Amino acid sequence: MFGQIKMVITILLIAGIAGAGMYVMKLRSDNAILKANQHKLETAITEQNKVLKQQKEDFTAILESNKKLNVLINTFKKDLQDLDKRFTKKNRDIGKLAIDRTGAIERIINKGGVNAARCIELASGAEHTDAELKATLKSEINPECPALANPSYVPYQ
Amino acid sequence: MYHINKIFALALIVLLTGCSIGGEKKIKIFSVEKPREKLDYPMPTALQLEELKWIIITSENAQEVFAKLEAAGIDPVLFGVTDKDYQVLSRNFAQIRQKLQETNNLLKEYKKYYEPEDKE
Repeated sequence: MFGQIKMVITILLIAGIAGAGMYVMKLRSDNAILKANQHKLETAITEQNKVLKQQKEDFTAILESNKKLNVLINTFKKDLQDLDKRFTKKNRDIGKLAIDRTGAIERIINKGGVNAARCIELASGAEHTDAELKATLKSEINPECPALANPSYVPYQ
Repeated sequence: MYHINKIFALALIVLLTGCSIGGEKKIKIFSVEKPREKLDYPMPTALQLEELKWIIITSENAQEVFAKLEAAGIDPVLFGVTDKDYQVLSRNFAQIRQKLQETNNLLKEYKKYYEPEDKE
């Protein structure tokens, strides 16, 4: 009788230990899954923060670039207006001027041609010369494209 | 019999907990970001234009101009534009130059945005 009770207690003990062991194993497995999930979440948050930071930087860069291009387009308009003004200022007629002062106009036209060619070179990416960079006076600038050729030049008001 | 049971119980405990000795292995997740290769074209070479000479010819100086050309060994022929067409030509060239500048600028901006120097 006593032997049977011992047997039952032993079986119960073994079953209890086995159950506890399995439960611990399940807990450890759950813990591992939760840790992996947490790690994934933390990684996702870091990634999201990185993406948000990059988006902010990109947005600023796009705004800056748009601003620069708008300034450039406005400069183009002004350059074309200035060119028209040079031909038509005070009812100027360069045809008549060329008849009256052929030599002088020829020199002006040729100088203008050289300046315009230099503007095209600069627009295509040529390096500025020191003289072009330092020019601040009206007499020193390239009047065909001052904004492009002479970045230090501030037009007189 | 009692000792056998004890040994059996102990063996069972070791067997059941053996897998977790030393703690569970940590899961390591690697994410390696491989950026797209840069196109990295160099900027277009700047133009180097040749100089050309404009000659103004009027009804009064025409003979003199042609005589000078002949004396210099140049064919006495000129390709002409009127004063109005000269203005048109100037405007056209100014527009071509602006378009060139705009395109070059756009290229620089795209390069700066998509292929910045410091980013790898």
